[in-house]
Amino acid sequence: MNMKTLPIALLGLGCLASSQGLAAPSPDVVLQARVVHTVTGQDISPGEVRFSDGLITAIGTTVDHSGAQMVALTNQHLYPGLIALDTGMGLTEISGVRATLDLTEVGDYTPEVESWLAANPDSELIPVARANGIVCFEPVPQGGTVSGLSGLISVEGWTTEQRAIKKAMALHIFWPSMDLSPPSSQPGAPSQPPPRSLEDQARERRTKIRELDDFFEEARAYAKARTAAASGGTSPPALIPAWEAMLPVVTGEVPVMIHANELRQIQTAVAWARERKMKIIIAGGRDAGLVADLLGTNRIPVIFEHVFTQPQKDTLAYDFLFRTPELLRKAGTICALSIGADSFNAALTRNLPYAAAQCAAFGCPREEALRMITLNPAEIAGVANHLGSLSTGKDATVFSADGDILDARTNVKRMWIRGAEVTLSDRQTRLYDRYRNRPKTAQAK
Amino acid sequence: MTQRCSGAPRRAVWFFLAAIASHACFGADLLPPGNRPAAPETHALTGGRVIPKPGECLDPGIIIIRDGRIQAVGPNTAIPPDARVWDMTGKTIYAGFIESYWPLGGSNAPTPNGDGVEPISAWTAGVAPFHGVEGKETSPGRDDPRFMPQGRAATLYVPRPKQNAGLRELGFTAALVVPARGILRGSSTLVNLSDGSAGDAILRPDVFQHVAFDVRTAESRSYPSSLMGVIASIRQAFFDANHYMADQADYGRNPTSRKRPPYDAALDALRPCLQKQLPVLFEPGSALMVWRAGQMAAEIGLNPVYLSSGQEWRRPDLLTRDSSFIVPVNYPELPKLPEDEDWTQVSLDQLRAWDWAAENPALLRSNGCQIALSTSGLSNRKAFRKNLKIAIARGLPEKDALAALTTVPARLFGAESQLGTIEPGKLANLTVVAGTNYFDPENKISEVWIDGRILREPPQAPKARSSTDVASGTPDSPDAKTNSTATAQGEKKKQGVKELQELQRTRIARIPLEDRGPLAQPGSILIENATLWTCAETGRVERADLLVVDGRIAAIGPKARERSDYPGPPLVVDGKGWHVTPGLIDAHSHTAILGAVNEMSLPCTAMVRIQDVVNSETDNLHQQLAGGVTAVNLLHGSANCIGGQNCVIKLRDGANPAGLIFQDAPPGIKFALGENPKQSGAGDRHTTRFPQTRMGVATLIANRFTAAKQYLADWAKFKASGGPPPRRDLELEAIGEIIEGHRWIHCHSYRQDEILMLIRLMESFNVRVGTFQHVLEGYKVADEIARHGAGASGFSDWWAYKFEVYDAIPQNGSLMRERGVTVSFNSDSSELARRLYVEAAKAVKYGGTSEMDALKFVTLNPAKQLRIDSRVGSLETGKDADFAIWSGSPLDSGSVCLQTWVDGKKYFDRAAAAERAAHLDAERQALLAKARKCESLAGGGSGQDSPPGANFFDIQLEKQFEGRDRHCLEEER
Repeated sequence: MNMKTLPIALLGLGCLASSQGLAAPSPDVVLQARVVHTVTGQDISPGEVRFSDGLITAIGTTVDHSGAQMVALTNQHLYPGLIALDTGMGLTEISGVRATLDLTEVGDYTPEVESWLAANPDSELIPVARANGIVCFEPVPQGGTVSGLSGLISVEGWTTEQRAIKKAMALHIFWPSMDLSPPSSQPGAPSQPPPRSLEDQARERRTKIRELDDFFEEARAYAKARTAAASGGTSPPALIPAWEAMLPVVTGEVPVMIHANELRQIQTAVAWARERKMKIIIAGGRDAGLVADLLGTNRIPVIFEHVFTQPQKDTLAYDFLFRTPELLRKAGTICALSIGADSFNAALTRNLPYAAAQCAAFGCPREEALRMITLNPAEIAGVANHLGSLSTGKDATVFSADGDILDARTNVKRMWIRGAEVTLSDRQTRLYDRYRNRPKTAQAK
Repeated sequence: MTQRCSGAPRRAVWFFLAAIASHACFGADLLPPGNRPAAPETHALTGGRVIPKPGECLDPGIIIIRDGRIQAVGPNTAIPPDARVWDMTGKTIYAGFIESYWPLGGSNAPTPNGDGVEPISAWTAGVAPFHGVEGKETSPGRDDPRFMPQGRAATLYVPRPKQNAGLRELGFTAALVVPARGILRGSSTLVNLSDGSAGDAILRPDVFQHVAFDVRTAESRSYPSSLMGVIASIRQAFFDANHYMADQADYGRNPTSRKRPPYDAALDALRPCLQKQLPVLFEPGSALMVWRAGQMAAEIGLNPVYLSSGQEWRRPDLLTRDSSFIVPVNYPELPKLPEDEDWTQVSLDQLRAWDWAAENPALLRSNGCQIALSTSGLSNRKAFRKNLKIAIARGLPEKDALAALTTVPARLFGAESQLGTIEPGKLANLTVVAGTNYFDPENKISEVWIDGRILREPPQAPKARSSTDVASGTPDSPDAKTNSTATAQGEKKKQGVKELQELQRTRIARIPLEDRGPLAQPGSILIENATLWTCAETGRVERADLLVVDGRIAAIGPKARERSDYPGPPLVVDGKGWHVTPGLIDAHSHTAILGAVNEMSLPCTAMVRIQDVVNSETDNLHQQLAGGVTAVNLLHGSANCIGGQNCVIKLRDGANPAGLIFQDAPPGIKFALGENPKQSGAGDRHTTRFPQTRMGVATLIANRFTAAKQYLADWAKFKASGGPPPRRDLELEAIGEIIEGHRWIHCHSYRQDEILMLIRLMESFNVRVGTFQHVLEGYKVADEIARHGAGASGFSDWWAYKFEVYDAIPQNGSLMRERGVTVSFNSDSSELARRLYVEAAKAVKYGGTSEMDALKFVTLNPAKQLRIDSRVGSLETGKDADFAIWSGSPLDSGSVCLQTWVDGKKYFDRAAAAERAAHLDAERQALLAKARKCESLAGGGSGQDSPPGANFFDIQLEKQFEGRDRHCLEEER
């Protein structure tokens, strides 16, 4: 081994050790930044953050430097890692190649399907997202009505187990479509089924919601039977994996995330949750801005996927969806942002900060926009006690950037996950390095 | 089609045949004993109110009918002694009404082999056979039954008594029977609605050739599958017919010295259209396509009539005075929605279409168009008179409505001498109304006369109350009730009807154009103290002025305000804090295309033109102006190695399609390499179209270029030395323009090998590629692209959406720029196009490109790539005043676009946009209230054949893709 490669190799070993979670004693680190964006409090400028054993131990304009490795982040901003909820990342490699997709399962009710165990640790998409500040993400299992459990996954770690921050972060419901397919006066292709009447469609909608409701009632009954059997007196019910998966949902331990975009979907989902006194999260939320008060009054968090969607109604202002997160915030809703959970957008998860930036440009206070990709998703994911902001006791999962992270000109420079620095290189930087060094070809053909 | 006989001997033969025929006829009239004998054919109609033509009235008048014709009409006409006398007191007699569009139903529609005619050949395929391969004349499309111009309704028409009776009940006595399927559908025929033989019924065998922009029956894999393909195929068909005529004429002159051209029934059938002997009825299907059809008729030299789309209200400015329309009186019918909240699914545009519908006939008239009415499209034909009454309440004069049922269709159909008025010599076709006015639907049709014979409904059973009516001597009125409770109910109902009528009479919907067009167009404007990102040598200039005069940049820089050589004082605006950039240019877009963005069918579709299908009505124009965009390159999709012709537009929102076009932009064409043209994503069923590999892509392109060179040579030879004229082939013509350097290639490409392949292939034809589009591996062959001289227009950071873009990197643009390539960032997305300025900023982030150079990725560089940089792309004196004003640096994600100007006119203003949205919302609320009220008064839909409200939900072509982000492989139609 020559002298040139040695430091890189050592750095690599450092990453390796920490991400394996080995308790190798490492010195405390103090990061010195131009601005520390705490998210919960005021920005500290300049500011310092000290961490030890993966946790933040001090934060302020200056902190205790004793025995610490000092890292000067000259002219850099320090942020808590960004959290990308409601994504297709991990379950998608190449959107157009079926063999690389693990996003959508068959079946209407599959609560026992779990996303964390299929989130490919070696996906090339994940380092690309990481390179823009994203430290964890939620791959959403899709397909059917109750599609399964999502986990919260770290962008660092050797195996799925090491990466899973939370294996059961939320149970996902894809709310039945409320759209009527209108009859058409124009004859369709011969293969098309004859149009159903609007009344029939309305009946089907109601039936689907009742089926969903029944599913939850049955899950409750199963849980009751289990509890009754546990306290003696009755024989336990036959073990059914789907109902077992629903137990933590019934107890409220695992929240329910309802994917609903259209106005009537959101309205009926909220009405259902109220009636059943369930805590839900709305994901998608395209038309949420039209019922911001309803969501705010009921304290329903929204993961808004549609900053980068065109208005879907011909009376909406061009910027309505840019402004929707702010409308939701003002109405009292915790709003987080998502680039979308479909396979196409999996590769674009890195653009999460620009969704926030767009909201900020169109009226959302900048610190609130930042919160929508840090602390708010941490709260929705139930990990706000250790992620989402910079304060003592939280994970030292941070990154530095050479400017405002809500500005597309800014580059993320360094990242630490639970106190260990990780590389920001990815497939793209490797290709870039390779081809920028291609010798200029001779003039003659 | 019209039979044309020439030469005296032939005429004599015809006379002889006619004589035999009529003699045979007389013989047949004398039926054997036991049959009911024919009725005498002389009648006198007396005592009735006679309307001989619109605007005239004889009350009472006498009509004498003899041998199926009107013999006389007048106030005091003598009654012939042999006439059967009919007392028409209390009735009104009109010239027999003409139904102007009556589709041949179900089984008797033209079928490809139904009457033994061959489907036409070569041009339906759109491409010449694969170059160099013999005997491959049957290219795709050859057997397509959609091209049957030689089909004749006259040969297929079979009178169907039940259907005839249905029309007669509405007062119709004649109808234009039209072929209902296909694109070149064949000719329509004018018939009397008598129930005898087809021969007796047909008045004029060939009235129009029917040409429909119909993609509904298209299979996505057979040409044409898209609207633009349909238009291209029609254009080619008529050009082929022209060539056919010339070729036949040439053969006629040189029968012994050249090869005999083949007979082609289809092309032969188009001959009378080109000679303007047979008008062409265009069935365009949408407001913009009505206009397009007119353009096309002028281009080809046809005599056009149009089937109204019912939507001409969208753009009345596109109507040409004196053009003729057949107008179905078919309005969207309010649906009964299951839940209140379901009304949220109804768009403003649907409500507008509903509210405008009844006014469309009046609008056509007030714009100077001729109209003929039809029941076509009505799910319940009985609604015709009710709907017509609403059209009259909305401003269609009764006189015009009557003309639209009589004189206008008679003239349009070339039957003026037979139909349309009650005049001596005309056919005794009469429409008789019990009462004084046809346009009051309460006045029932008592009978019609056709060819001098009366046709009536079966007699009704006498009603119980009729005796009291007769006793009291009151006329039989549906509202007259004797029972007092019934009267109260009747009163309430009557009140409701009145209220409904009142609502129907008044339009709430506004003219869509009211919300569009320039917000300000000062003769000159001076923006002071702004930061100007010139994208020119001057770079970024602080506290500078921008002077615009007559749509051009007149002066720029710190001293602009001191200039005085402009006419009149400019509008002075304080630009302190503003950043002004050139208008952004999107080099790859599908945002304003009507119908499909792909002609999916053939590997080469160079003949289709985006210019034919520019959608001036999409809200995308407004939304992209709001992102500072002022010009857009509308490209065909990427389903074919050689795709369709592009169209560069300026976002002059509110202008018509022609007004959007960037006139000085040189023409271009879409090419595509890799997965899309080789159908990688088309599913396992699609594995037989050539090419299926990147090798084949190269082969196909080389083949078409070789064919085009041959084509150019053929024309050159013809021009130099005469001979039979070569056929004009719109596919090879377009490729020939590439070879000759007049048309620029914009090539969808990803992998380095295919990029290099096209460079070398084109170099072998001495062609320079205009731009590589997407070009996501361009960074691997940047030197080669630079040396070839092509531009590169890509995404900032899209990747991994398919296998061939796994190696895409966000540093691509910057790296190519550093190696000397002219680079732009595009959107390929109506959504992303709104945020191109953020995309530009990513070049700063990933590739370290300077801010000014990054901004050029969306301004000057795309202008250069589209060869419009002498006009736009930078802020320089003399260039078009296309610019955007920003709240801060355009590369700062926190900035917003405040204003956007095109040609010195303000098309976007952030404050005005908010007001606009508020107006639209208020309009929708008002329309919704009206609809709900009407629904409650009328009790919802009442359609029979189709579900209630079916056409209410129809989304017009112009609005088909609103809010939908279409990419380059979009298959939907």
